[in-house]
Amino acid sequence: MSDLLRRLSPRDWSRREKVGGWIAAAALLAALIGPSLSWHDPYAQDFLAMAEAPSAEHWLGTDEIGQDVLARLLLGCRLSLLIGLGASMVALVLGGCLGLAAVACGGVVEYLLFAAVDLIRAMPGVLFALAMVVALEPGTASVIIALGVSFAPIFARIVEAAYRREVAQGYVAAARCFGAGPLRTAFRHILPNILGALITQGAIVLPRCIVSESVLSFLGLGVSPDTPTWGRMIALAATSLEETPWAALAPIVALSLLTFALSMLGDACRRAFDPLRRGVLA
Amino acid sequence: MKRLLGVGLDLLRLIGVALGITVVVFFLVRTVPGDVVDVFAIAADLTYQDQAALRADLGLDRSWIDQFSLWSRMALSGDFGVSTRFNRPVTEMIAIALWPTLKLAGASFAIGLTLGVFLAVLAALYPRSIAGWLVDVVTIWSIALPTFSVGLCAVILFALWLGWMPAIGATLAPAIVLGIDTAGTLVKMLHEDLKEMESALWVRTARAKGLSRPIIVLRHILPNAASVLLAMTGIVLGGLVGGAITMEVVFGLPGVGSLTLQAMKGRDYPLIQAIILMLALGVVLANFVTDLIQRLIDPRAGGGRG
Repeated sequence: MSDLLRRLSPRDWSRREKVGGWIAAAALLAALIGPSLSWHDPYAQDFLAMAEAPSAEHWLGTDEIGQDVLARLLLGCRLSLLIGLGASMVALVLGGCLGLAAVACGGVVEYLLFAAVDLIRAMPGVLFALAMVVALEPGTASVIIALGVSFAPIFARIVEAAYRREVAQGYVAAARCFGAGPLRTAFRHILPNILGALITQGAIVLPRCIVSESVLSFLGLGVSPDTPTWGRMIALAATSLEETPWAALAPIVALSLLTFALSMLGDACRRAFDPLRRGVLA
Repeated sequence: MKRLLGVGLDLLRLIGVALGITVVVFFLVRTVPGDVVDVFAIAADLTYQDQAALRADLGLDRSWIDQFSLWSRMALSGDFGVSTRFNRPVTEMIAIALWPTLKLAGASFAIGLTLGVFLAVLAALYPRSIAGWLVDVVTIWSIALPTFSVGLCAVILFALWLGWMPAIGATLAPAIVLGIDTAGTLVKMLHEDLKEMESALWVRTARAKGLSRPIIVLRHILPNAASVLLAMTGIVLGGLVGGAITMEVVFGLPGVGSLTLQAMKGRDYPLIQAIILMLALGVVLANFVTDLIQRLIDPRAGGGRG
């Protein structure tokens, strides 16, 4: 593991990956302490300053109902990272564990699980997550679960491919000879060896989860309507683009910067964890 | 003969997948609290008797299994029912909505494919030119800029500030936004693939024979990238359908995406079911066809699941 960490050291990152690293660090800081630093309540409506352009009092202006855009942006940063991390963790654990157990068991179990994987992948884009959020009632937790389930198939596929590669190795045969069953072999011996591929895929999926969340919220089927995620902010500001373009532009720019930064980190991860593979499945 | 049988079995499995997703969605939408009668009841004051009568009329008071067997029997005979919210045949509504979506997805795909292949080939021909930089720009663009926010920026810039196009109804602007995004996805994979082949032994042989660089790239390397391109096409098509949904909402196009969203928000069960069945069949068939072509042109692919 320390070897992997050393390989991940920023010394041999490309310039754009370093830029991404700094942006991601800033976003993390903003998510952790930003909301408590801001002197405006993200939910409070200032009726004396509605749809006001950026000023000394409201750095990024106010939206059409007088809420401070900066305060909402900072809280939204926290929510975006929280939902993104949560969803990719759910996807990793769900897809990874079920996928590994299924290929290890083989037979009917494997067939059924990968039929489910194909089912989810047959729904284009965010449609599956959309249907699931509707079914679970909008809210932060349901968005995390819905996105987690819809991204889980990617991890199941990765695990399947990695398992087939590893199972031919000597150490697996050795474990079998000592009497380890298929599940024990898979989780105690094979899993540690394919964890790198899984974590890499997690880093690649993270920005996609964040974008998907904002798409869901933008379509009005994500978190509850008054939660200031970036997607919700964009959706609300989209109805009054002419009066308050800054209320739309601020979350758009923030979302783009964060997506870019996390994608660069994902690239760095991919290179560090498996330098031979070109990766990017599905 | 055996290969033909394998292809047939694959097709059957894929159609099974599409039917499976329809069944899952059928029950998924019914677990949602609130149905179309509640949606009506909010809009117009309905007494409990009215509501119960309406539910009985629409068949919503029966058990889910009953509803499913009724719906599947009707669907098998080609009748997908009537939209509960708009009281029009579902097939008719989808047929009307399909055209704008196909136009948008088709135009974006054409733009994406042309731009992506053009840039990747140019960058392979002249690695140290501006083309390599353009490849980077388009790649980062598609990674960092979600299409719906670029679409909104386009609306702000062109429609509101410059007044160039009506904010609602234009097809070209969303197609360009989606197209650049598609090109970014394509060019990333294609560029890496082309670069990798540069160092292959057969390319070195071709160079040793004294072939010029354009000949090597266009006649030797590019045909070998065809299978990568095709594999990407399947992925890109799925993404396009998803992207088209949000783009239709941003630009106010009356396509399948807007219709799906309306159906889900309005708990319009027959409409949701028909749209999902159609989309799933479409995606599954597209994947099947790309898979098939891939096997035909690349003898190494074949066997194994996709």
